Amino acid sequence: MISLHRNGVLGSAWWRRLGVMTTKEIRQLLRDPILLGFMAFVFTANIYLQGSSVSMQLNRAAMVVLDADHSAQSRELIHRFRPPYFRLDGEIGSAREAIGLLDRGQVMLALDIPPGFGEAIQRGETTAVQLQVDATHPMPAYLATSYAAQIVGQFSLAAALEREGLSIESLDELPTVVNDQRAWFNPNQKDTWFMPISELLEGITLFAILLPAAAMVKEKERGTVEQLLVSPLTPFQIMFPKVLAMTLVILLGASLSLFAILGPVFEVPMRGSLSLFYIVTTLYIFTNAGIGLYIATVARNLAQVGLLSMLVLGPILLLSGLWTPPEAMPVWMRWATLASPMRHFVDLGYGILLKGAGLDVLWDSVLAIALLGVLILALGMRRFRRQFS
Amino acid sequence: MKMRRVLAVAHKEWREIVRDRLFFALAFVVSPALMLIFGYGLSLDVERVPFAIVDQDRSALSRDYAYAFIGSRYFDFKGYAASDRELEPLLEDNTIRAAIIIPPGFHKALRAGRAAQVQTVVDGTIPSRAQTTKGYVAAINGHFSTEMLAQHLSRVRGLSADEARARTQAVRLEVRYLYNQSAKSIWSLAPKLIMLVMIFVSPLLTAVGIVREKETGSIYNIYASTVSRGEFLLGKLAPYVAVAIGNVLVLWLIATLHYGAPFKGAALFFFLASVLFVICTTGIGLLVSLLVRNQLAAVVVTLVATMIPALDYSGFLMPVEAMGAEGSLEARLLPAMYYTNIVVGSFLKGVGLEVLWVDLLVLAGYTVALFVAGYLLFSKRPRA
Repeated sequence: MISLHRNGVLGSAWWRRLGVMTTKEIRQLLRDPILLGFMAFVFTANIYLQGSSVSMQLNRAAMVVLDADHSAQSRELIHRFRPPYFRLDGEIGSAREAIGLLDRGQVMLALDIPPGFGEAIQRGETTAVQLQVDATHPMPAYLATSYAAQIVGQFSLAAALEREGLSIESLDELPTVVNDQRAWFNPNQKDTWFMPISELLEGITLFAILLPAAAMVKEKERGTVEQLLVSPLTPFQIMFPKVLAMTLVILLGASLSLFAILGPVFEVPMRGSLSLFYIVTTLYIFTNAGIGLYIATVARNLAQVGLLSMLVLGPILLLSGLWTPPEAMPVWMRWATLASPMRHFVDLGYGILLKGAGLDVLWDSVLAIALLGVLILALGMRRFRRQFS
Repeated sequence: MKMRRVLAVAHKEWREIVRDRLFFALAFVVSPALMLIFGYGLSLDVERVPFAIVDQDRSALSRDYAYAFIGSRYFDFKGYAASDRELEPLLEDNTIRAAIIIPPGFHKALRAGRAAQVQTVVDGTIPSRAQTTKGYVAAINGHFSTEMLAQHLSRVRGLSADEARARTQAVRLEVRYLYNQSAKSIWSLAPKLIMLVMIFVSPLLTAVGIVREKETGSIYNIYASTVSRGEFLLGKLAPYVAVAIGNVLVLWLIATLHYGAPFKGAALFFFLASVLFVICTTGIGLLVSLLVRNQLAAVVVTLVATMIPALDYSGFLMPVEAMGAEGSLEARLLPAMYYTNIVVGSFLKGVGLEVLWVDLLVLAGYTVALFVAGYLLFSKRPRA
């Protein structure tokens, strides 16, 4: 009974040991300049680079035109393909030339206007133009098709009204539907608001899994874990300080990105409560640390940790909804995303930082992370205990 | 350079890979596993966008307008909402990504021959998807408008419905997708996944393999032996190159047989180019291993130097031409983009050396530079 009191959860020695171990872990981390340097890189320069240069939008897609008509109408249509979405790379003489340019990847689009295009319009017929799209990149191919369809649609409407003796200005006097489109949360659909948050969430995930796993395996590899085990520390007192130290360092890295990059450089609005963001991030790091510790019990050396983390990180990133939102996945995979802590963290990250949502909307994601965390940490602890006692 | 010594080092390294059963399994399991996982879950197709409708007009015509969206395969109808105020939490929770609001008076305006106003709200969080969704909305709206116009013309001028429809449409756009006829994202992604997986697996194995010797101190055996720098590096790296080549073959089979991606190019050309790429990435692993001192740093540095840039600066998701100046420069500085061109050319476009020789040349130059740097940096008398 006495020993339970002195060394058990109730005693002050218990807390002191936790403190000592946490200090040890922090010192150990701070003595690894390469690792710290790369953490700094991932949380600052990497986010800056990705945010400033990666664009998923159609940006001046190169286009050539094969104009067999050379009428006023064909010229009018061609000149509607303008920056920022399209860039005219001149006219070509034959269809073979177009295929050659597309094969070499020098242009993305080729517009083919048939002979008699202008006359057909004047006669009141429906005529067609053909657009060849390099679909090796499906995303810009979709976007290019969509913008081209809008351009041709508007041209067609204007031409149709004109030949009926009406004008495009009188559209209000005609039974048409005007659809006014607005984008919420990111009104100008800036990639510089989407990408940096995405990179921040990825960075947090990467280090929250990798650091605890590596720290644990390092002790195993060097045999220092035996020293820890013969000490009066419980498995919890060995593992928890590691998680705590990593959490502190990762939160520091995240703060660096938020206040040095996301805010001042990219002007991400950060509409929601930052303290809520910090709380859920801490919770999320704990959950991921559970995954890391589990990896550490399976792996025997750091090389294995590296590969196992990859094997685990791949699905986690994929199921997170960052690259493909859950609604675009097959149904069984959509269900699988619910088991990935990162999926809930992504909902929280964008929900808080971009959408300004609070706990009233996001409580279910927080709950999911907490439940998954308890489950994963319990499993990790059990394996650790079994392995070492 | 004695072949016997190279073989001895290679043999020792191979034994080490094989003996560590988890490492061995991982070396062969990680790539196909990632390929399968990514192949199923990574979709760039924008379809089944979840959306809601606020219909404040509640007329037959407003229902027709709503059904134009509900019936589209691009949209997934989640239900009617009573007012625009209900939309905000639904959008914040990702329950819906778009909403269409039909205000009162829709029916009246159209029947009176005037333009009717509607609003669309799109979740702008994922910009590319928001843009695509807006495009779909504009297309469906345009179609509905033209139909209204045609009905109007047929009433006013007494034309038949078909004639009126032809009159309201002057020009049609026919789209032909090249290289990937149905613009399926898996056809484009599966080949490029070979690049994404191979760019980090072999450098990771290589870097960790060499740094492990440094960390455990077994490298001093090499320092003290008669094995020369070149012999050691060659013997040490050969098994990793072999593992990587095996992986490329497996991934190629998955891409073509499992995902049904077309392979239009020359198999031999693609194989040789892949071997060159694998040697090149092994060289990256070598360089990393010489710059760091512990295995964890080796893992982190390799990932940051290979996988992260390969995801964004290789033409994996977006063409390099669409990037800003910085991104385009970074893409040109790294080997990933050149191999992506080779992969896409060989699979989807069916072009060979006549178009891809530049990429091949750059990769070769890259490889030589990496190995020269590795050779010069590797010293049997390291400063303590």
